[in-house]
Amino acid sequence: MQHTLLVTGSPYQSKACHSALCFARAALKAQPDSIKGVFFYEDAVLIGNDLAQPPRDEINLKQAWQTLASEFNLPLYLCIAAAVRRGVINESESKRYELNHHSLSHGFQLEGLGTLVELMNSTQKIIQFR
Amino acid sequence: MKNTLIHLTSSPYSSLACKEGLDLALVLATFEQKVDLCLSDAALSILTISQQPTPEQGKNLHKLLDGLEFYDIENVFIESSSLIPDSATQWSGITSLDSAAWSELFSSYQQVFRF
Repeated sequence: MQHTLLVTGSPYQSKACHSALCFARAALKAQPDSIKGVFFYEDAVLIGNDLAQPPRDEINLKQAWQTLASEFNLPLYLCIAAAVRRGVINESESKRYELNHHSLSHGFQLEGLGTLVELMNSTQKIIQFR
Repeated sequence: MKNTLIHLTSSPYSSLACKEGLDLALVLATFEQKVDLCLSDAALSILTISQQPTPEQGKNLHKLLDGLEFYDIENVFIESSSLIPDSATQWSGITSLDSAAWSELFSSYQQVFRF
């Protein structure tokens, strides 16, 4: 069975990103293709902000997701509208808005909600973490 | 195609959750997915007519309700105990369910998302 994970809770105001990470780790360890993709929406898109630096004695959640994604070739999607609104911007959006900076961390990609619909329709189960 | 229920529980004025839940409903409908809405708790305030929020208070999401039928979103459910006594001040497109039907609602969809 293949799953889609939908993460909507803020990495700072909830444990949604933490719980989703633990679930994804366990699922992928048990079956490496059990998760087709992770879609971050609402405040969860803040996970992809490259400029955020957690204190050194705390978990680096962004890095933990990047490591997992790299190990299992797991796509990490951020909703483009939710991300741009919150200042998580890739190079092409930065040019489009005529900005001097971009802030999207590597391993994450900006996609529309249509990508979530495609994931929903091509996996057996979707699990929301909020 | 899966049928999806979007359950709005957050106030339209305290966070973006309600707006982003509605955005997801509209995108699902645009992709011709079967989607219904249900409202409870603070999200019920979206139903009140004649809202005039300032930009600081947030967008007037009530205005979106009349457009739902153009996306073929036909069902907006609430629990009947949530109905306010003066129905003239509440949006008329809702379907109210008794407690038993409301409880069953959530198990009649393949996917339920909460915002």
